[in-house]
Amino acid sequence: MANPRELDQRRKSVRNIRKITRTMELIATARFKKAMDRAAAATAYTDRITQLVSDLAKTGLQVSHPLLEQREKTDRAVLLVLTANRGLCGGFNGNLIRAALDRWKQLKEEVPECRLEISGKRGIGGFKFRGHVADQTYTHFEDRPSFTEVELIANRYLDEYTVGAIDRLDVVYMKYESVSRQNVSVETLLPLGSLGDSAPEAELAATSGPQYDFLPSPESILEEVVPTSFKVKLFKCFLDSAVSEQIARMVAMKGATENAGDLIKTLSMQYNRARQGRITSELMDLIGGVEALK
Amino acid sequence: MSEASPTSQLRCIVVTPEETVLDATADFIAIPLFDGELGVGRGHSPMIGRLGYGELRLRTGSESDRYYVDGGFVQVVDNVVSVLTNRSLKASAVDTVSASEQLAEALTRKVGGEEALAIRDRQISQSRAQLRVGLNSK
Repeated sequence: MANPRELDQRRKSVRNIRKITRTMELIATARFKKAMDRAAAATAYTDRITQLVSDLAKTGLQVSHPLLEQREKTDRAVLLVLTANRGLCGGFNGNLIRAALDRWKQLKEEVPECRLEISGKRGIGGFKFRGHVADQTYTHFEDRPSFTEVELIANRYLDEYTVGAIDRLDVVYMKYESVSRQNVSVETLLPLGSLGDSAPEAELAATSGPQYDFLPSPESILEEVVPTSFKVKLFKCFLDSAVSEQIARMVAMKGATENAGDLIKTLSMQYNRARQGRITSELMDLIGGVEALK
Repeated sequence: MSEASPTSQLRCIVVTPEETVLDATADFIAIPLFDGELGVGRGHSPMIGRLGYGELRLRTGSESDRYYVDGGFVQVVDNVVSVLTNRSLKASAVDTVSASEQLAEALTRKVGGEEALAIRDRQISQSRAQLRVGLNSK
């Protein structure tokens, strides 16, 4: 028969764990809301940039820029993996690492010179465990990545790309689709490929809309828009990753809290049964003794 | 031409990738373009322009607001002035001390190559603009 005291102690410790996971869930919820607001604020900027690009396209300008063009030969590539600094967020980090690892192997086969860059302690640890050492690591991106920090990295990539030190940049991150849906996404950010998905709409609306004056010229504006749109895209990856991490943690901790509740119920039942069993056996002893004395 | 009526209010929206800094109406807006200032009143013709580093001024009645703008683009259409910039803050919040440090550092730095030269020039004009805006508002 189980020892009631042991059961009681276990129940206590499970209760404490439940308190912790509940708190973590609440914290993740609060952070998720904040991260969500930031992501929404960034959308305002991206929307305007896409609008600007579509207005540019309406002028009949040939959209061409070194950042948009596919290079003939890819000799040097960079893989950037965005993971979390902390664990306890379900399959978030695991899924990212798995996808990144696949991509990394594939990239290594295709491209002679590859560089691995990882953001987040979990990803760094995960890759090290599997025997891949990152060339560059970042751990300062928490749940509020700031544009200035991301811009530093973006500028470095842009500079390296223009001088030919890299030919391709792939980013592995958790793409936020909705509150209940986030997917691991592998995207090639350099070369950019296209400037948003506004091109077909722009063609439709080519005849209508106001005629813009361009200062100094459409070409010069385009020259500025392309790097900006790359920076914003990269920033969006970081934001998406932050939002998805909080959601993943929220869900994981909700599950943990519920599990702890179930465990407490079972333990309580076992404890009560064990206690009652002990009382009954003591009573039986007593009755047995009384019977013997008769 | 756009169909915006000249009587409607002139609206100014400043967005950065992180947040919408400003969404307000004004009588007159001065925008720091890459080669000088541009004044926008009501009923301005549609325009897209490149911004430089400098001061964005909004005048409403007799009051005027001043902001520092760190490059980017401006789009004027239908009495709405949208400013897309990397960073924007109130002129009084500009950190003149770090700006002057950056300027001094950039002026004394030795660089080689066209790229590095361009970066230095950009930093110099950026910190000079910050100083100008910051000191003006004091």
